Amino acid sequence: MDDDLPTDFQVIVVGTGMVESIVAAACSRIGKNVLHLDSSDHYGGLWASYNFDGLQKFIKEVNSDPKRQQQVYNLSEKWYIEKETPQEEKKEEGQDKTEDSKAEPPKKVWSQANFTSEYRKFNIDMTPKLLFSRGPLVELLISSNIARYAEFRCVTRVLTWLNDRLMPVPCSRADVFATEAVSIVEKRMLMKMLTSIVGYNEEEMNNEFKDWNDKTFKEYLTHKGLTPNLIHYVLYAIAGGTDKMPCLEGVKECKKFLMSLGRYGNTPFLWPMYGSGELPQCFCRLCAVFGGVYCLNRPIDKVETKTVDEGKTMVTIESKSKTLNCDHLVIGINECPKELLSPEPAESCDISKAIFITNGTILPSEKEPLSLLRFPPLTEEDNAVTVLEVGPATGSCPKGLFVVYFITNKVKDAESDLMPYAEKIFDMSGGDQTVTSDKPKCLWSLFYNAADGGGAGSGAASGADGVFVCAGPDSGLDFDRAVSQAEEIFKQICPGEEFLPRAPDPEEIVFEDDVTHGPEFRREDDDADGDAPKE
Amino acid sequence: MHGRVKVRTTEEEKARKEKEKQEKLKVFKHAMQKIWDKRKKEELDLELMELTGKVLTSNPDIYTLWNIRREILNIFRKDMESEGQQLVDLYDAELRLTEYCLKINPKSYCAWHQREWVLTTRSNPDWKTELALCNKYLKFDERNFHTWDYRRFVISQCKPSLKEEFDYTTEKLLDNFSNYSAWHYRSKILVDLHPDLEAGRPIEDEHHKHELKMVESAAFTDPDDTSAWFYQRWLLGAVKTTVDLVVCTISPLKTTVAFNEPVSKDYVQMTTNLLINDVSVNGEWLPCEGKKYNNVWIFKHNEIIGDNFDIKVEYNRENVDKLTILCIQKNSLYIGRNNISFQRKYSEPVIKELKKQLDSCRQLLTMEPDNKWTLLTTTFLLHCINAKHYHNEVIDILKTLQIKDKMHAGYYGDLITKWSIELQLEDDYRNEELELKVKFAEKISSLPHLHYYSFCENVNLFNQNLTSRVLSTLSVLQHCKKLSLENNNLTTLKGFPSLNLEELNLRGNKDLDMKEVEIFKQQNNYNVIF
Repeated sequence: MDDDLPTDFQVIVVGTGMVESIVAAACSRIGKNVLHLDSSDHYGGLWASYNFDGLQKFIKEVNSDPKRQQQVYNLSEKWYIEKETPQEEKKEEGQDKTEDSKAEPPKKVWSQANFTSEYRKFNIDMTPKLLFSRGPLVELLISSNIARYAEFRCVTRVLTWLNDRLMPVPCSRADVFATEAVSIVEKRMLMKMLTSIVGYNEEEMNNEFKDWNDKTFKEYLTHKGLTPNLIHYVLYAIAGGTDKMPCLEGVKECKKFLMSLGRYGNTPFLWPMYGSGELPQCFCRLCAVFGGVYCLNRPIDKVETKTVDEGKTMVTIESKSKTLNCDHLVIGINECPKELLSPEPAESCDISKAIFITNGTILPSEKEPLSLLRFPPLTEEDNAVTVLEVGPATGSCPKGLFVVYFITNKVKDAESDLMPYAEKIFDMSGGDQTVTSDKPKCLWSLFYNAADGGGAGSGAASGADGVFVCAGPDSGLDFDRAVSQAEEIFKQICPGEEFLPRAPDPEEIVFEDDVTHGPEFRREDDDADGDAPKE
Repeated sequence: MHGRVKVRTTEEEKARKEKEKQEKLKVFKHAMQKIWDKRKKEELDLELMELTGKVLTSNPDIYTLWNIRREILNIFRKDMESEGQQLVDLYDAELRLTEYCLKINPKSYCAWHQREWVLTTRSNPDWKTELALCNKYLKFDERNFHTWDYRRFVISQCKPSLKEEFDYTTEKLLDNFSNYSAWHYRSKILVDLHPDLEAGRPIEDEHHKHELKMVESAAFTDPDDTSAWFYQRWLLGAVKTTVDLVVCTISPLKTTVAFNEPVSKDYVQMTTNLLINDVSVNGEWLPCEGKKYNNVWIFKHNEIIGDNFDIKVEYNRENVDKLTILCIQKNSLYIGRNNISFQRKYSEPVIKELKKQLDSCRQLLTMEPDNKWTLLTTTFLLHCINAKHYHNEVIDILKTLQIKDKMHAGYYGDLITKWSIELQLEDDYRNEELELKVKFAEKISSLPHLHYYSFCENVNLFNQNLTSRVLSTLSVLQHCKKLSLENNNLTTLKGFPSLNLEELNLRGNKDLDMKEVEIFKQQNNYNVIF
C-alpha cells in the first residue's frame, strides 16, 4: 500500500485535529492537492471522541509514555463502582428484561463490567465544545455546505449555581416570561438590560461605555441598578464571566450569547451528536470528496525545509522510511517535532478538565435535558467553571447514564481545581446506586490537564518557512479560535483564494463520461442519460 | 486528477431551472384546460378528481378546483345510498390530499375549509386525528391562526376536556407569548372552565388572579408586545355587568326610557311598565336609535300628561327584586332617575391583586418614566381600583400620554372625555337640573353615555372638540329643546338626527359649509343660529 502513495503534494497536513482538518478541507476545496496524515488510528487528535474502550487505550498510552503525549498530563482515572455486578442480581436483571414494559424496573446498578460490555455506546469527548447558533463555526458549516455531514441537538437549558443550588437561567424572552425566580420588576430590568445590549450600534456603544474602559462588568451592572440575582445571571451565566471581567468584554460576551438566541432552540447553543469529535471528520470528508488523500496510522519522523530556486521553500518529511514533498506543511501541535515549535514557551494558560459519568441528571426535568452549567468561582483564586451535561439522546452514553464535562483554566491541577465543584452537584461517595438522593451518583471520573500553547496570534507562527503549526484545543466554549486560526493559515497558503466556498449538492455536479466514477455514481449517470433534465 | 468534481456554473443552473419551469407551466396549462373541458361537458367523474388533485398538489390555493371536487363528491354521495367502502375511501383520500396541500401552504384557506367540509359531511369522523393534526401544525407555527380556527372547529365537535385545552394554551404561551390566537382561545375557555356561578362573576377569583399575574409577567417581560396588553384589558373588563334602567322621562309629548346597555324590544316589553296614577299604561315601544338593540326606547301611548300626576315606572328583571322608580315633576317633565355607578366591581381578592400590580407599575415608572404601556396600564389600574379617588391622577397621566404618544392623542382624549363624563354623571344624577353642560376643564372629543342625559331640555356643548362624527349619537336627546354646538369642529351636518328642537346653535364651526346650513335650516322648523 505504501508504494501506492504519491510522493509530491502541494499541501501535506499532519494531524486530524480541528484546525488541521479545516485547513485541509479549505485547501482541497479550491483544488489544492492535499495529503492528510495522522499518527494514530483515529481522527481528531486532541479533539477526538472515544468510545469507552478507545478512551481506556488513550489513558493507558498517555500514562505509559508521558513524553509521547505532552499536551495531556496529570491524568487520573477513578471508579466509584464494583468491578462486577453480583451474580444474583444479574439473574434478576434477566427476568426484568422480559417484562420490561410492565413495571418500571428498579434503578440499574452499574458495574465496571457493564461499561466494558457497552463500550460502544459511549462517545466521550476529550475536547467537548458547544457551538453558538450564530457563532463562526455554525456560519462556516452553513456557508461551506459541510453542515449536511453533521447532526446537532439544541442545548435545552442554561444553569447556574446560585444560593447554593442549581438554578435555570432565564435567558430568552420565553424563559423570562415563564420564570418564577425573579419578580416582575426584575423581569423588566433583565429584559431591558439584555435588549439594550443587543441593540447597541457602534456609536451608541461608544457613547454608553466611554467611561467604562477600565472598570469591570460587575460594576457596570451594579451601576445600572440590577439586583444581585440579575447580576448573577448576566455576569456568570450569560457572559460566562467572573467578578474581574472587564466591562467591554462582558458586553461583548453577552451580545454574542444573545445574538445566538432564537435561531434553533430556546438556548443559544448546539451540541454535535456523537460528540465534538465528529466535527473535524466532517471537514476531512469534504477534503476527501474534493480529492484529498487520507492516511491514518502514519507517524512522521522528520521534517526538513529547503530553499529551492527563486526563494521558494520545499518541505520534505520522512514517514515510514518514505520521503514526501510539499510546498506547505500544516501540522498539529501534538504531532509536531519539538525543534519546529517556537523556542520561547508560549504563554502558559493550561486547562483543567474532568469527565464524570453519572447515573442521573444534575437537575431533573420533564424531557432528557442537555445542559450548560456555568459555575461562578467558589473562591477568590478560582476561575469560572464550565460544565456540560449530555445524555443518551446525544449518542454519548447508554440509557440511564449522563456524561458530564468540567472545564476551567488551570490554577493548581485538574483534580484540586475541579473536585470542589463536582462535589457540589454529585454524590461522590460511591454508595448504593439504588438509593435515590437529590444528587446523581458519580460512577466514574477522569481528571486531566491539557496544555494550551496556542494563544491567540501565535497560531500560524512556526520555526520554519512553509510550515504551519496548529494549536490544540483552547478553553473557550465554542470553536472560534480554531476557525479563525484555520482561516489565517489558509490565507497564507492560498493568498487571495476564497475560504471554503459553498460545496455543491449532488444534483449540481456534472458527471463527464471520461471520468472514472465510483459505482454509486455510475447508476445515476446511466439513468440521467447525460444531463437532460428528468420529467 | 481523479475524483475532482465539476460543478455546474450558475448560468447552466439558471438555464436548467428555467427549462424546468417552462415544462411545469406547459403541464399545468394542459391540465387546467382539460379540467374546464370536462366540467363543461359535465363529466364529473373520478378522472376529474384525479386531474384536479394533481393540480392542487402543486398549487393548493385554486379554490375553484376544491369546489369542483366537492361537486363530484356530492354526486357520488347521492348516487350511493349508504356510505359504502368506495365513498369512505374517497373521503380518506380527500383528507390525505388536504393534508398534503397544507404541508405546501399551511395557511391555505381553501385546504382547511375542504377538510372541515369532509369531516362534517362524512359519517364517523375521526376527531382525535384532527386534534393531533392541529397539534402538529401549531408545533410548526404556533401563531398560524388558520390552525387555531380549525382547532376551535374540531373542539366544538369532539368536546374534549376544557382543562386540557386550557393547559395547551399555557404550553403554547410559554413557548411564545406574542400570540393573539392563543390568548384569545384562552379567554374563551377560561369563562367556560372557571366561571364563578355563585357570585355571578365571569371568572373565579383565584383564576382571575392567576391570569392577571400571568399577563403581568408577559407585559413586564416585553412591554412593547401588544398581545398581552389586550388580554389584560379583557381581564380587567371581565366583571359582573347587569343591564339596568337608567332614567325615564315622561313629557306631554313623549315618553322615553334609557338603559345602561343597548337592549331589545322584547326585553323592554317584558321588564318595563309605565304606571300613571297607579294605572298601567298600554302602548308601543319604538327604537330611538333605529336599531335592533337600543339604549333609549320611546314609549308611544295615548295618555295625556298633566300636572301633579303620580307617575311611576316598574322595572322587573328575572331573579332580581322589582324596582319601582318614582318620576318627579320638573317643569312639564316627569323624570325618574335610577342610582347609577360606573365603578367596576371586583371581588376583594382581585382588588388586592390589582393594587399589587399598581405598585409594580409605579415602581417600574420610577425606572422608566416614559414607557407608554406602563403609563397607560397605570391609568387603567387606577381607574379600575377607584375611579373617583384617582380621577385627577388618571387625567394627568393621560394628558402626559397625549404629549408623549402623539399618534394616539385622540384615543387618550376620548378616554379623558369618557372617564370625566362618568364622574360628572354620578354628580348630575344627584341634582335635579334639566341641563347638560360640561363641568370640567378638558374639552370633550366624543359623547359617551349621552343616553344618560336623554332627559335634558338644555344641552350645552359650547366650546368643545366635537366633530361631525358624533352627530348621529345626538338622536338620544329626545327631550332636548335647546342644543348648543357652538365653537366645535363640525364640518358637515350629514347624519344630524331629527329632533324636536327649538333652538340649535352652530356658531363658531369654521369649516361648516354655509350652503349646507341654509338647506338644513329650510328642512327643519326650529331656529338654527349660525
